[in-house]
Amino acid sequence: MHAVVMDSLEEYLAGALKPAAQREIEAHLNACDACREEIRCMQDVSQLFVSLRSEEIAAPAPGFYARIAAQVSEREAAPSVGNVFGLGFAFGRRLIFASLLTLAVLGSYLVSRESGYTAGPSPEAVLAQQESPAFDSAPAQDNMLVTMTAYEH
Amino acid sequence: MGTLAGTLTLPTFGSKVASKTRVDYQNTPEGALVQRAQAGEEAAFREIVERYQSKVFSIIHGIVRQRNDVEDIAQQVFAKVYLSIKNFDFRSSLITWIYKITVNECFDYLRKRKVRKLVYESDLSEDEVRRVENSEPAVDRQIPADSSLAQRDYVLKLLTRVSEEERMLLMLKEVEGFSVEELAAKTGMNENTIKVKLFRARQKLVKAAQRLDRTPGLVPG
Repeated sequence: MHAVVMDSLEEYLAGALKPAAQREIEAHLNACDACREEIRCMQDVSQLFVSLRSEEIAAPAPGFYARIAAQVSEREAAPSVGNVFGLGFAFGRRLIFASLLTLAVLGSYLVSRESGYTAGPSPEAVLAQQESPAFDSAPAQDNMLVTMTAYEH
Repeated sequence: MGTLAGTLTLPTFGSKVASKTRVDYQNTPEGALVQRAQAGEEAAFREIVERYQSKVFSIIHGIVRQRNDVEDIAQQVFAKVYLSIKNFDFRSSLITWIYKITVNECFDYLRKRKVRKLVYESDLSEDEVRRVENSEPAVDRQIPADSSLAQRDYVLKLLTRVSEEERMLLMLKEVEGFSVEELAAKTGMNENTIKVKLFRARQKLVKAAQRLDRTPGLVPG
């Protein structure tokens, strides 16, 4: 949207522009398709707000203040999780921080253990296995094939 | 709608408007009333309720239109005002602050009502859901018979796509009819900021409307 429209957008939508400014914007809108289309969409949406205006002069029923007071007492009496344990706000924050830290430490420990499982035998162990006399035997070759097939899956 | 790239001139936006000095709400008669309420004086809180209850009822009625629920929501609003008045920092006028609480409470109510309806319907068989839908009053259906109710539902749906602050500004501008200058005085923001925020909010509404209009079963205004 061009500056000429944008500067006075709110006044234009509210129909509160002075005639000279109104003429200036309309001249621009006649020449600029993009601004004209954007303004049209905004006017359409703006008109919808009329449906939210309440013409009804609403007055509360007698005893409204007493009902608010009752609700306030109810809310004040309702114990929060922190109040149940007599914990203050600052302590609660520290408790949450400590819990998150514990979770992070436990998480990283579990991840490191997990990677330990998936790493498999070390290169030295594999070499030692290949150099052992039993490696060339038939059952060992079968075992190797089975292992390789398992790796493929 | 044209693209904004290249034509967006936000830095010079509102260049004609001079920023006004902020209103010092703390040193007004209303500020004194709030300070008394913040000090725990019940008479001061009572005066706040009596001063603004009609306005709050009217805002809620405009959004919710369920007469039975208006007072419940108003009670929640004033209970919140009471419990958080100590956090009121005088950056805006008291009514602007109460207005924001009221609008948020209404949207919260509408969201909870929608969730309750979904939970209730999920417990029913398909036949039961169909029977309930047919027996519901038109107001609660997706396409209300009254076009004004259809427009209200539609604009409320659009307003869920903007932030709480944008929603409050749009409502104050479009429903209450305040000018940008008045909004600046009420919110403590400068006029250029208000204009930029309203412009962005309007763009979001237009985009949301375009998306909703492509969805079958929704009623454009």
